[in-house]
Amino acid sequence: MSTLASAYTPSTTGHPVRQVLARRPELFTLMLLVALCAFVAAANPDFLRLATLFDLARASVVIGLFALGVFVILAAGGIDVSFTAIAALCMYGVTKGVVEFAPGLPLPVVFTLSIAIGLGLGLVNGFLVHHLRVPSLIVTIGTQYTFRGLLLTFIGTIWITTLPPQMDDFGKVALLTTTSSQGATIILPLFVLILPAVAVLTWWILRRTLLGRAIFAVGGSPAVAERLGYDLRSIHLFIFGYAGALAGLAGIIHACSNRQANPFDLVGSEIDVIAAVVLGGARITGGTGTVVGVVLGTLLVVVINNVLIMAGVPSTWQRVVVGAFILIAGAFMVNRRRA
Amino acid sequence: MKKFLLAASVAGVALAGAAVELSAQTKPTIATVVKISGIPWFSRMEVGVKAFGSANPDVQASQSGPATADAAQQLKIIEDLTARRVNALAVVPMDPSVVEGALKRAMDRGIIVVTHEADNQRNTNADVEAFDNAAYGAALNERLAKCMGGQGKWTSFVGSLGSRTHIQWVDAGAANAKKYSGMTLVDEKNESFDDANKTYEKAKEILRKHPDIRGFQGSAGNDVLGIGRAIEEAGLQDKVCLVGTGLPNPSAQYLESGAIDAIGFWDPRDAGMAMNSVAKILLEKKPLADGMDLGVKGYEKVTVKKGPGQGQLIIGNAMVIADKATYKDHLF
Repeated sequence: MSTLASAYTPSTTGHPVRQVLARRPELFTLMLLVALCAFVAAANPDFLRLATLFDLARASVVIGLFALGVFVILAAGGIDVSFTAIAALCMYGVTKGVVEFAPGLPLPVVFTLSIAIGLGLGLVNGFLVHHLRVPSLIVTIGTQYTFRGLLLTFIGTIWITTLPPQMDDFGKVALLTTTSSQGATIILPLFVLILPAVAVLTWWILRRTLLGRAIFAVGGSPAVAERLGYDLRSIHLFIFGYAGALAGLAGIIHACSNRQANPFDLVGSEIDVIAAVVLGGARITGGTGTVVGVVLGTLLVVVINNVLIMAGVPSTWQRVVVGAFILIAGAFMVNRRRA
Repeated sequence: MKKFLLAASVAGVALAGAAVELSAQTKPTIATVVKISGIPWFSRMEVGVKAFGSANPDVQASQSGPATADAAQQLKIIEDLTARRVNALAVVPMDPSVVEGALKRAMDRGIIVVTHEADNQRNTNADVEAFDNAAYGAALNERLAKCMGGQGKWTSFVGSLGSRTHIQWVDAGAANAKKYSGMTLVDEKNESFDDANKTYEKAKEILRKHPDIRGFQGSAGNDVLGIGRAIEEAGLQDKVCLVGTGLPNPSAQYLESGAIDAIGFWDPRDAGMAMNSVAKILLEKKPLADGMDLGVKGYEKVTVKKGPGQGQLIIGNAMVIADKATYKDHLF
């Protein structure tokens, strides 16, 4: 298998580079990201504008929050595919509740409510994974259907296109505003700051707390971790609860930024998120990965999804290009590890 | 004793049968079956079905549909109604191929079947379409060209490249735009997946790539919402034109702000009335003729031709193109 890897890194310098890459896989993600941006900029120099950066930052928030949640679960050797259903339920349930019962509810309460519901549903996942002793993929496929079914059956199917004013305004608050040469206003919304804040929090939990060590230990080998005295039950509850809470947060941000709450939204984007985490260098089998890698992986997926028109790829070819890119990047990732 | 009981029960059954027969004879029932009940589109259709019922006291019109977008559940409802021997079925199939068998069985039992949004349905007496797809796409584009003054770059969005009607609309639009030498089509047929957020991101990318773009033509219901948000946030309401399929209520805020210049749609209320009207004509054993009047707005002079099966295809001229001044006449 080393043939592919050595074709990628010249054999004379291959060894030290490969060692660095093996230690810091996120460097590889960074290289891919830079190469991709350079390629698009060469195809269309207009890519190198502030407006592009603003748009990419905005598009990264929701998928980035999902990816950090999935990463924490992946680090502990599990997987979650129910987070989009949790986010949709929180987003639509909370928005509908605010519209119907408490139109003046302060924004921080709206957010807290959404995060709390997400946390609750995440804990349901954690509880089921721990007590049923069924692989987390199976459990979360089940809960994805259940949560989505509950949303559409009991909460509603009608789109909310006029959000309560406090949510609508939050989506529009600008951190930076500029004007393009053609007179178009370009806004960097304030909510983009939430992603770096949550990334730092996640990094701190994983790298600076005992809990973080426990998560990676469980991801490495649950049996060994249990013998070392880590409490598997509380770790399972924490990782799924944390991912659920982040999904709740992402959901409510999605509604504010989108200026509508669509109950059929979000579910279906799990694959993009899992691709982002894996392209960021985390192993699908657990025990490895870094927060920086996850953020870079998110950017990579967001960039590939948002530059194809810019690069002049006709829309019939866009899905082919995205698929091929993920295949190639994924193959390099796996071969790098084996090298 | 036994004989008496038997005779009594036979008489009872006959009596009950006669009662059913009697009520069926006095008042034929037309059952409308929609894709999903409870969503705004089909609630609006129910308004039409009820209006038809009260305007035609000689028939009994009602509407039902599954609670979720599920072709299997819709099939079950059609089978139930067939077993209950309604006189006519007016179906908006979730998936025409799934209900072919059920509709055939209904027709074999003498039930009149009318469909809508299913011009490829084989087992139907008549399929009612609101408009000709090419005419609709051209009309949307004509409105766009008027807004753009026949000048500048424009692009088109489709729900997906596999969506036959959307492709027909934008192709007809592109053909129409050729009339204006100043209009240039760039990066056409962007896929929106009927997702407002994806549409928004693609629209922003197009605004970056073509800062001088002057027009957008949308196809899926969410396209105008996503593109409208991108235009509104950029403050380009007065510089960029946006025309596309959309529903009045969700589009209202963008029509008011000027981000959306016009929306095109057909009114499901009128479509519901037209289906019931066709069902009634067929129940009365009257023929369907080219150019006839169904007595519903937009269906006053319908085109009738042979459908893909033994039934007929009825095409109305019921497209509605509404702007800021007129959308309030169609709020749903």
